[in-house]
Amino acid sequence: MLNDIFIKPFIDMVEAPDFLLQVLWEGLVSGILYALIALGFVLIFRSSRIFNFAQGIMVVFAALTLVGLHAMGVPAWICVILTLGVMFLLAVTIERVVLRPLVGQPDIILFMATIGITLFLIGLGEIIFGGENKVMITEELGIPTDSVVLEPWGGLLILEQKDITAVIVAALLVVALLLFLNKTRMGRAIRALGDDHQAALSVGISLQQIWVLVWFIAGIIALVTGIAWGARAGVSFALEVIAYKALPVLMLGGLESITGAIIGGLLIGMMEKLFEIYWGQPLLGGNTETWFAFVLALIVLLFRPQGLFGERIIERV
Amino acid sequence: MTKFTRIAAAAALGAMVGQAAMAEGLSTPNLAYRTGPFAATGIPLMNGQADYMAMLNARDGGIGGIPIDFFECETGYSTEKGVECYEKTKSNAIVSQPWSTGITLQVLPKTNVDQIPILASGYGFSPMADGKVFHWAFNTPLSYWDGASIILKYIKEMGDLSGKKVAFLHLDHPFGKEPLPYLEMKAESEGFELLPIPVGLKEMQNQSAQWLQVRRERPDYVIMWGWGAMNAGAITEAVKTKFPMDKMLGVWWSGHDADLRLVGEDGKGYKSVSWSFPNSDAPVMADVKKLVVDAGKSQTSPEEMDGVFYSRGLVISAILAEGITVAQEHAGKPDISPADLRWGLENLNLTQARLDELGLSGMVPPFSTSCANHTGHSGGWILEWDGAKFVKASDLIMPESEAISELETAKAREYAEANAPWPVNEDCQM
Repeated sequence: MLNDIFIKPFIDMVEAPDFLLQVLWEGLVSGILYALIALGFVLIFRSSRIFNFAQGIMVVFAALTLVGLHAMGVPAWICVILTLGVMFLLAVTIERVVLRPLVGQPDIILFMATIGITLFLIGLGEIIFGGENKVMITEELGIPTDSVVLEPWGGLLILEQKDITAVIVAALLVVALLLFLNKTRMGRAIRALGDDHQAALSVGISLQQIWVLVWFIAGIIALVTGIAWGARAGVSFALEVIAYKALPVLMLGGLESITGAIIGGLLIGMMEKLFEIYWGQPLLGGNTETWFAFVLALIVLLFRPQGLFGERIIERV
Repeated sequence: MTKFTRIAAAAALGAMVGQAAMAEGLSTPNLAYRTGPFAATGIPLMNGQADYMAMLNARDGGIGGIPIDFFECETGYSTEKGVECYEKTKSNAIVSQPWSTGITLQVLPKTNVDQIPILASGYGFSPMADGKVFHWAFNTPLSYWDGASIILKYIKEMGDLSGKKVAFLHLDHPFGKEPLPYLEMKAESEGFELLPIPVGLKEMQNQSAQWLQVRRERPDYVIMWGWGAMNAGAITEAVKTKFPMDKMLGVWWSGHDADLRLVGEDGKGYKSVSWSFPNSDAPVMADVKKLVVDAGKSQTSPEEMDGVFYSRGLVISAILAEGITVAQEHAGKPDISPADLRWGLENLNLTQARLDELGLSGMVPPFSTSCANHTGHSGGWILEWDGAKFVKASDLIMPESEAISELETAKAREYAEANAPWPVNEDCQM
């Protein structure tokens, strides 16, 4: 038994390095997609202290809008622009109808409001687009669908071009987001709100504008996530479930840290894949991905309750 | 009384009258799931079921002159919501259709108390076939063990199973685990290695870990017990891993046209066992089209009507309708009770001649039930994806009755003992 836990997995890794690379690649792809979802949560939490339960359904709604518009005969790239428009309208509506009347209410009220938004978007999405599985317009968007087959050490490594694209686009999005937050006036305003609401408001930062902006950015992230996940297994309401994969990422990385979301996502993506393949499947019958990330996050929380990159909050009473 | 109050009162009265009108007829609730992660597969099935009943109401005024009150309670495929729906709809119901193995297992003990038959066509707990133990439960026309048996028989036609490795990719859910007792028994008797690979609900759309295991273990065949988004996830990963499609076979819930359309030509050769088959030329399809779809009473689209799942939904309602007809004839009255319907479902005799008479030619194999046999074990076809649609790839294959029957009896007895005191049907002498 000790051999199976401490020695055999590492021998397997050394004996089949191409397979290990494949496992790490699959983990990287999953991780970057987890990180994208987590980013949506973090942005909204930083600026408004709202844990946005609706992030998952926003992914579905954005992807459905994109595919739905294309089914109506609209060219693919126009669909992307129109979908961004829809996500902007959604951000404005959420700010006007849901968030603005609740300013100053306890956090739990705002959290409950996002559950309401989730239920509303599920209903609206089903009325407009129906619940059937739809094919993502991968090729129409110019995303290559072939595979790159490599033979490292005489073995086999298959890289899907759409996964490579997802990784590149996600990386570019993260860089753009970091530049926006650190180098632009609006970005600094978002960070200021996250640091201290009262102080930010006192220097004239508009809460309404910032909320619309962060919900719109979360909408853009949702669209990119929806395209990447939808290209793998179609667009349906099942995509909403993947939002739960972001929860351990947030626990691990910290709810307020963009770096935490990215590194947490990558760590969880790769570690859960490694654990599943080398320990979970041979020793525990598989399907350890359902719980591994949560256990990992809990272990981190035992030592760092604020997560790996979260801010330590000290309240004096 | 203000204007608003008057409007509200009128609306409430209207709703009550509507409810009363709805309540007239034979109450046949359906615990449907048109929402949630499994909606994509649920919608065409529910549409087929609803359209057949609507067609009977429009064409014949119902069954035996009494309209059918077919209505849905939305579960989202959640077991908790399903049990709530069962409780909410059972008061006047003559039948309940739980639509998930999880919900079926939860309501199974209640059927003895409520004395309402549950009809779980092609799903649920396989030992429900033993009518002596499961007095009120029906899983016509084929159980999951029958399905697994047909798949193994088909594989055996291609060569001996001995020494082969068979991966069993399944949803980590009561539905996905259901065929395991039979497959484990067969692995031992046939001498093949069974490799169960579970897929969690959150992993349905990202099965890379499961398919890395397939790549490492190199199974000779993959048998899939998938549902909802899991099917599309598995088939896309199989294509990506370059697993030979003709070595991958699924249960009837893994043979949905929309899932295969995601991979199109790449999915060519994928197979699925099925106890139903779409036949656009069948007379019943013309009636449904004319009286329901063209009349604007259906939620279905014309393309969906040619699909495997829509026609299966239609066949499920046809089986229920036949059960009601048989019950009415036996009871000598149209307004039957749940107990009458149980008798009807236990005495189905859907011969080819009767299927032709019902306009269902080629859509379901003939089968019959009895008080001891609540499944019918109709047999099934292997369907193959040709890149655009499913086509028949085999003649009718029958499950191996003897081994399955022994296992059913043993597991049914085990269930009854574990849930003692469990009433059995002592009147059944078969």
